[in-house]
Order: sequence, then structure tokens, then C-alpha cells
Amino acid sequence: MSAPTLLPTESEEEVSDGLTVVPQRHWGRLVSALVILAVGVVFARSVVTNERFGWDVVGTYLRDVSIAHGLVITLELTLACMAIGVALGALLAIMRLSVNPVVRSAAYLYVSFFRGTPVLVQLLFWFNLAALYPVISFGLPGVELDANRLITPMTAAILGLGLNQAAYQSEIVRAGILAVDPGQQEASDALGLTRLQTMRRIVLPQAMRVIIPPTGNETIGMLKSTALVSVLAVPDLLYSAQVIYARNFQTIPLLIVASVWYLVVTSVLTVGQFYLERHYARGNRNLPPTPLQQVRRIFSTHSRLSVGGQR
Amino acid sequence: MSTVTMTEQEPSTTGTPMVRADRVRKSFGRLEVLKSVDLSVEAGEVVCMIGRSGSGKSTFLRCINHLERIDGGRLWVDGEVVGYRQRGNRLHELRAKEIARRRTEIGMVFQHFNLFPHKTVLENLIEAPRLVLKEPRDVATDRAIDLLGKVGLASKAKAYPRQLSGGQQQRVAIARALCMRPKLMLFDEPTSALDPELIGEVLDVMRDLADTGMTMVVVTHEMGFARDVADRVVFFDEGRIIEDGPAAQVINDPVHERTRAFVKAVR
Repeated sequence: MSAPTLLPTESEEEVSDGLTVVPQRHWGRLVSALVILAVGVVFARSVVTNERFGWDVVGTYLRDVSIAHGLVITLELTLACMAIGVALGALLAIMRLSVNPVVRSAAYLYVSFFRGTPVLVQLLFWFNLAALYPVISFGLPGVELDANRLITPMTAAILGLGLNQAAYQSEIVRAGILAVDPGQQEASDALGLTRLQTMRRIVLPQAMRVIIPPTGNETIGMLKSTALVSVLAVPDLLYSAQVIYARNFQTIPLLIVASVWYLVVTSVLTVGQFYLERHYARGNRNLPPTPLQQVRRIFSTHSRLSVGGQR
Repeated sequence: MSTVTMTEQEPSTTGTPMVRADRVRKSFGRLEVLKSVDLSVEAGEVVCMIGRSGSGKSTFLRCINHLERIDGGRLWVDGEVVGYRQRGNRLHELRAKEIARRRTEIGMVFQHFNLFPHKTVLENLIEAPRLVLKEPRDVATDRAIDLLGKVGLASKAKAYPRQLSGGQQQRVAIARALCMRPKLMLFDEPTSALDPELIGEVLDVMRDLADTGMTMVVVTHEMGFARDVADRVVFFDEGRIIEDGPAAQVINDPVHERTRAFVKAVR
């Protein structure tokens, strides 16, 4: 192995004044890399050779119709619950920052209740709402809705996960709003903007930079939390896989099928989050580089010493 | 509730001062920041407010456009009681929307610029005219471009605030305030956050503005600017104005002992 040279034009291991440069040897790095590679090879080998993984079954069911339906349900649930979570969360955050103590306390109580009980318990509560209120009237005369028909497993799932998400989301939005320099509010006041205009046009767009990264985490978390709704027999991705393996006993291959799809969707979401963050970072001097820019940067760099030097 | 006392009738509209303060008081908790401030600023006048930090000059400036609420006394801008509407001999507290509307007539420039970092320079200028004055985009843009030319930044319309120097940002902030066509401009230590070599360009813009006849109230530590541009200089000390007179006299030959000490220290 040849050591990297100081200047690419020089002959190896020699610089112009005739002295040989001996790079530092990193034995620790070498050993740890070898250990990890060895473990990786052993693991990969067992994954390939262990027939009980059932890769042929995985291949078959990866494009199964009911799995695809399950995936769609999972995506719909994620979208609906996050929509409720983000909208209600923003409202709760603004309520938490209100000058009206009643409004503030109401939001606070909501957050403590929904954050303080397990989401699985909340899901079961919504599912069994008919036991508590057989007829839902919203307190309005003339309104009489049958709770058993209104609260389907799907609505219970959306309510349970969405309302729970709103509690977490409100804390994220609140942190974002508090992170905006108070001078922005003052400048908006001095220009005669109303509070709503200031919130919508000045404060929230700047808060977004703080809000987006944890919201991306929450979306990915939500995608996985939707697996909980299999207890309500909602035919989501996991439940669809369970139905199939209950029939053919190929438990592991079908769990792998579900995992593969969860992984694919979370990867797509991660990419989406990156570009969303980049959009809200405008006005900053240094935008995070896109993957393409990163690749270009690696290939345009000849020597390690010039990394970060000229560019 | 604030104790706003009814003392006398609203001044008549002929020769109404642009700003008039009558025994204005303001406390933050137990700390009494403004003890009793009396001041009158005529239309077209440039008044500089000087004094040690903590003497109440910035707080008073912020009371003028109701960013701070006064706890006592009366304050008028162009004949209207700040923050209230007078009906007979009752003062009704204004709603947020009315307060916002009155603020549109008062421009304010802050020590830390407070430009909107997620909007370009041009967007910073046209934001309030579009949202508050409901102007069409092209009308607001024309005026904004014109004002950017006047502060010497016509080429920076598409830049973001963080790409500009402090001096340039403050000039944009002045243009943004002027874009609302205010009748009164308030400056809260506009050069205190700037590197020394950038102060001049901001003061030049303010000097030009004063030459156009704009009524200006300026909190500043720039004695040279105060002497050259201000019609009057007032000296704040412990929540009161203890000296008020022509710029040259207050700075060069102050009457009060404390003013003398202050002017000597900052020179």
C-alpha cells in the first residue's frame, strides 16, 4: 500500500526538499474495521444460507395484492393522522402561547392528558367509544348518531393516533415559535401587521426550520405506530401480513415482507424531509448540499489535503 | 388597569405637535423606568434623545408607537391619544386592529434591524404595504425599488438580509419603514450594533431623510449626528427629561450638571 502524498505531482513518498513523509499508521482503525467486516460476512452468510428466512416466499409476497392494500391503508393512516396532528398541534401551540389563561390551560390539559396515557390504551378507548356513548349527539338537538356505526376500526385508529400526535406536535410547534427572535414580532407590530398576519407570514415560516426535523421524525414514527392498529383489526400492512401467515404459517418471511415495505417508505420520507428542510433554510448563507452536490464534491477533490481548502 | 387621567382637552388640530407627552409614566414591575416625561415634537422637527443606558429613552420611544403601554400621563401622536380613543371625557382602549392601523403611520428602526431573514430585501419592503395597506404588488414594488435607490441599495433587491453587511441591513430597515409612507419616524439606537466603519453610511441616509422634512425622533449616542442634524436634543436622566434645547446648546454648553458629565464622557 502506498502512502498518500502531500502533492499529487510529486513522486511517491517524497517532497521537493528530498525528505520522505511517513503518514501516521492507524492500527486501531484497521483492527476495528476488520472485526466489523468479519462479523458482517458471518451474518450475511447466515442470512443467505439459512433456508428458514424463506427468501423465495418473501419474493412472492412482496408484490402480493393484500400486502399492497395493507401498504395503502398504512400510508393513508399515516397521512390522515399526521394531518390531524400537525393542524391541531399548531392550534394547540398557539393556544399555549395565548395571553388568555383559560385558553392556555385548556391546551395544557389536552397535552398532559394525551401525552400521559399510552397510545394503545387511547386506541382501545376510541374503539370502544360506543360502550361509553351509544348515541353521539355533540350536545346538539336533532343530532343522533349511532356510535357503533360511526366509530369504525378505521375512524378509531385515525382519532386515536391523530389526537395523540397533536399533543406531541404542539410541543414541537411551540418550541419552533419560541425559537424565533422576538425582534421579528416587534418589527411586524411596528409595521402594523395584525397578530394573525405576523404568525402566518413572519413567525411560522421561520419557526419551520426548527419544526421540520422533529416533525420528520414524528412522521416516520407515525408510519411505524400505525402497526398498532392491527389490534383493532384494521387491515394495514402488518395486519395483512399477519392474516397471510396465520393461513400458511410462513411467519418470518411475511414479517420480513412487512419490514421491507416499512423500510422503503421511511427511506422515501427521509429524502422528502431533506428537501423540505432545504426549502425552509432559504435566506441562509450555507444551504445543506444535495446528494448530487455531495457526490460532485467527492469527485472534484483530488487530494485529502485540499478537502475544504479551495472549495 | 392603567390610570390614565383626564386632565385637559385634546389639543386643537391647527399646529398640532406630532408627538406630545404629558407626565408619561411607565414601570416594569417595581422598576419605574419613566417617572414623568414631558415632551413636544413639532411636525418636521428632528429630535435626538440622549442619556445613559437605563435612563428610559428607548422605553419612551417604544411608548410612542404603543410597543409599550404607558401606566400614567397622556401621550398624543398627531393629535390622537396613543392606544385610546377619546369619546367625550372617556378614553376607550383601542382594539388590536386599530392599534395596528395607527402604527402604520409611524415608522420604526431598531438597533438590531429586525429584517425578515426568510424574505428577500424587496419582499421585506413590500410585505407590509401589501398586507396592511392592501396595495397591488406592482405599486408597492415600484415604490420599494425607488426607496432602495434612495438608500443606495438598488442592486440588492433580490439579496437576503444575511447576505448584507450590518450597515446595508440597517439601510434596508429604514427603506422598509419608509415604504409605509409614515408621517413620523422613530429610531432606536440605529447605529449601536454596527461596526464603526459602517455607521457613516446609515447616518448619511438619516441625514438625507431629515432634509426631506420628515419628523424624526432618534435615540442615539452619536453626538456628531445629533449636533449636525437634530433641531433639538433632549437629555434623559432617571426617567425624566432634565434638559431640552437646541442641539448645539445641549451638547456644547449644557446647563445641567448631569448633562455636562454625560456629554463629556461620550465625547
